[in-house]
Amino acid sequence: MDSAWLLLSLRIALIAALAGLIGRWQGETAGWAFGCMGLLLLLAFHYIYLARLQRWLKQPDSQTIPDAWGAWGNIYIELYRLLRREAKAREQILSDLEVFSQAAEASPDGLVILDADNHIVWCNRMAEQHLGLRGERDAGILVTNLIRLPRLAEFIAHPGEGEPLLFRPAERRGSVLSIEAIRFGKDRKLLISFDVSQVERADTIRRDFVANVSHELRTPLTVISGFLEHMLAEPAPEEARHQLGLVSEQVDRMLRLVDDLLILSRLEGESQMLREEEFDVRDLIYEVSGEARRLSAGRHTITCEVVPATLKGSRDELHSAFSNLVSNAVRYTPEGGRIVLYWEVKEGKGIYRVEDSGIGIAEEHIPRLTERFYRVDRGRSRESGGTGLGLSIVKHVLMRHQATLEISSVPGAGSTFSAVFPAWRVTLPQA
Amino acid sequence: MNHSEHLSKQYDSDLEDVRSRVLQMGGLVEAQILAAIDCFTTGDHDKVSQVEEAEFRVNAYEVEIDDMCVHVVAKRQPAARDLRLIMGVSKAVTDLERMGDEAEKIARMARQVHDRRGLQIPRSAEVRRAGEMAVTQLRRALDAMARLDPDEAERIIGEDVLIDGEFRNILRQLITFMMEDPRTITTALEIAWIAKAIERIGDHVKNIAEQVIYIVRGTDVRHVSKELRRFGGSPGEGL
Repeated sequence: MDSAWLLLSLRIALIAALAGLIGRWQGETAGWAFGCMGLLLLLAFHYIYLARLQRWLKQPDSQTIPDAWGAWGNIYIELYRLLRREAKAREQILSDLEVFSQAAEASPDGLVILDADNHIVWCNRMAEQHLGLRGERDAGILVTNLIRLPRLAEFIAHPGEGEPLLFRPAERRGSVLSIEAIRFGKDRKLLISFDVSQVERADTIRRDFVANVSHELRTPLTVISGFLEHMLAEPAPEEARHQLGLVSEQVDRMLRLVDDLLILSRLEGESQMLREEEFDVRDLIYEVSGEARRLSAGRHTITCEVVPATLKGSRDELHSAFSNLVSNAVRYTPEGGRIVLYWEVKEGKGIYRVEDSGIGIAEEHIPRLTERFYRVDRGRSRESGGTGLGLSIVKHVLMRHQATLEISSVPGAGSTFSAVFPAWRVTLPQA
Repeated sequence: MNHSEHLSKQYDSDLEDVRSRVLQMGGLVEAQILAAIDCFTTGDHDKVSQVEEAEFRVNAYEVEIDDMCVHVVAKRQPAARDLRLIMGVSKAVTDLERMGDEAEKIARMARQVHDRRGLQIPRSAEVRRAGEMAVTQLRRALDAMARLDPDEAERIIGEDVLIDGEFRNILRQLITFMMEDPRTITTALEIAWIAKAIERIGDHVKNIAEQVIYIVRGTDVRHVSKELRRFGGSPGEGL
């Protein structure tokens, strides 16, 4: 490259030297004229090459690159290299992109990329099938315009929060999709749709199975328990009486278990709407505390501290949730302990709270307490007569009322279970 | 960003807001009609109140969208396709609201039919099928509005006769029932009302599809035969 520029300078120097010589022999004017002519020729030559470069730049192609000499040759060689580098890089990027889009197409889940304003940018074939989109044709359309789920707009506005949205596309009967939204990059969102029809179906089958089995078990158990009662009333030897008593205890436990399973499977049936009514919370809590006193049989002090208020919801279901919480307290509080039932309204929210001075729960158990049959201490709760389903029932009932369960506990000092109800379910009496 | 660009962006988003509002309303009506048909097939009382509750929200949408349309027209003075969009959308809103009313009618009738238990309900499968057809048509019409796809809209208009045919079928079968056993007359009449409501929903869907064609092509295809529609003529030109 340096040599080309050197050559160009040499050429100018040559023209200047020749012009000087001619000037000395033929006079000054002829010298200047020759110099100008030489430079003009050089200029014209460069202009021609400039024009060619411009023409070529309109359609740059490494095949049609013009030949040239001197500095122009160098420039074309550099341009040629640049072109090759670009082409290679583009190929690389394209093949990378191809790999990514093939991977996205191969995904068994539907993927939809949305821009900051929720317009569709891209979607894979699975998403087309799941959500009835039409690939590239739908790019740029607001996603809520095509998927007109009443709750979708709100759902997309807060990506990554809350439960996945369940969606039953009307085009495909019986299939259930679960939709999730994730924020990525700068303000972009990714909608992911999974086909959960199988899971949903398996869940229904399991629920039906549990419900049917519990139902079938109930009748024979009732018969057995009836006859046992009858036999216990008859005179019998001491040993037989003792054994019959044990059998009767176990039968009662099984009956309770079956009842709880039935309640739970009914609560899980999503299709069942909540039968809502407004009722006085105080009455319900007095009722529950009365039952607790009977269960405790004088071993504990049970008191209530309640404010007047009405609650909107299913009284029957809440009765079972409230009494489950209290009977747990009775079971896990040693004799002479204290149990207090609170009902208070804070910032509009209604809070039902059961405090006991019982054995408490170690922190690591708290998150798992509401699992079915989860037991902190295997031996203990069975002897105290629990079914292991109580807190699951509580959780389900509260969920159906949009309420939350909060648990705090100090081992050895007692536990507090609070059910917090949203403000719109609670009405305070007019003052 | 310069000033006028900012203004036109704001204007575009105003227009888009109106359209997406209408489509959301459409989604709600769609769910409402499905729930109403469920009321009829299952006799679920909770669903009836669901339909009635949705009716309030549909009405609120109508008022809100009408207000939005007036504001866009007053503030932005839209022209050409934008103006047609506003006009078409505000007519589609009326149709959607009427569909909501029909859905409520179906739900109410369904409750009456189911409250008079003991009688076998004739022809519920056909009614269900007609209802589902109407909902599918509605979904396609709303899709066509979202995509501004006049070809799809044209297909929807052509297929309205299917729902009409289904309606006549149901009627004929109900008449047979009534002649066989006069005790079924009350129920059969109520079912006829339900079928009629479904047929009306189909007509409203057709109107919405016509608005889509009007928005995109600027031709008014109402009360125009299919041939004229193909040539993009108005009824005046055809005579």
